[in-house]
Amino acid sequence: MQPIIGLIMFLFLMLPPVANLLESIMIFHMHMQMPLIAISGFLMAPFFMEKFPKFFAKWNERGIPGIILFTLVMTYWSIPRAMDDALTMYSVELFKFISLAFLAGVPLRASWMKLTDFWKNAVFVFFTLQYGLMGLIYLMSDSQLCNNYLQSEQITLGWGFLTVAIALLIYLIQLVIIDPSDYE
Amino acid sequence: MNPLKISIAVVLLFSFGLFFIGTDGFQAFTAETARTNDLIETQPEFPEVTLEDSHERTYSFSEFEGKHVFITFMYTACTSVCPQLEMNMYNVYKQLPEEAVGEDIVFLSISFDPENDDPETLSTYRGYFESDGETWRMARIPDQKELDRLLEEFGVIVIPDDNGHYTHNSAFYLVNREGNLTDVMDYTKVDEAADKVNAILANEKGV
Repeated sequence: MQPIIGLIMFLFLMLPPVANLLESIMIFHMHMQMPLIAISGFLMAPFFMEKFPKFFAKWNERGIPGIILFTLVMTYWSIPRAMDDALTMYSVELFKFISLAFLAGVPLRASWMKLTDFWKNAVFVFFTLQYGLMGLIYLMSDSQLCNNYLQSEQITLGWGFLTVAIALLIYLIQLVIIDPSDYE
Repeated sequence: MNPLKISIAVVLLFSFGLFFIGTDGFQAFTAETARTNDLIETQPEFPEVTLEDSHERTYSFSEFEGKHVFITFMYTACTSVCPQLEMNMYNVYKQLPEEAVGEDIVFLSISFDPENDDPETLSTYRGYFESDGETWRMARIPDQKELDRLLEEFGVIVIPDDNGHYTHNSAFYLVNREGNLTDVMDYTKVDEAADKVNAILANEKGV
């Protein structure tokens, strides 16, 4: 069931009016459309994992290659240039959908359960730092980073990045200070 | 080699390729840098447009034939970047040898808001920056189609917002004596731009 929902979601997000709407606002583009595409891939992942169990077992040992791929693809799409290119070049737009669904969403699902706590926390720390840094860059840049978006939208996006970073930070802090076994 | 190492290597190689291609070899992390690099490489010609300046004179770009033209794009109602841009342009202007200005090089501020920036408005605006209207002219391009073509050709992206303002990219544009765009410079680096122009002028004198 999940893969079908994922596929429908993926195709729905690709519909030109839906894509145009989400891309018309910078923060929707970065923090709504892109994660939704990745989530659609995440939902479709079981289909591939059942179809090619050997492939995932052999080439995604301990989930490490997959999580690296996920992290780097997500990082690539946080570069201002990548967003502009997706809006101006059709091939890049197509690549955005394919890479976020199948090179970010699928590997995330295929890797997460295999990861040790160390790697999971490393991923959280990485994204906390990355989103914090990107937030500061988008907030403090004097110049317009994306040619297709207004500078005021850039600041909104900067706050969006920072908000996610703060949420991740709170998660990390509670990991350290709260011991779940106290509540069991 | 074990599969883990191979798959990590493949992932890293792929990502390296992605970042490499996506940023023109780690050169351009914003579309603006990519655009500038591309312009300097292709050197587009200044298209035939009709300018109307603050003295209500109309002429085509060939008015400046045989001279370098130092160009900025702005609109007078702008309260953010443009005053800074024009002030920096003034500071470049001041650093050039007096005998060259007007003779070898002309300064030109082009408004992309022809509706509001009529010659009278431009004339007032000119005063703020001690532009003389001759060696540093401020002009609009009344024909929207011609204006759009120029903006497109020179990669100037202008997005109107709801309050009569625009978000736009800013730079110093240098067109050579033949009418080709040869350089797009960072407008915040005044001395660098002035040095560059001075070097070009000195070089020509030397030959």
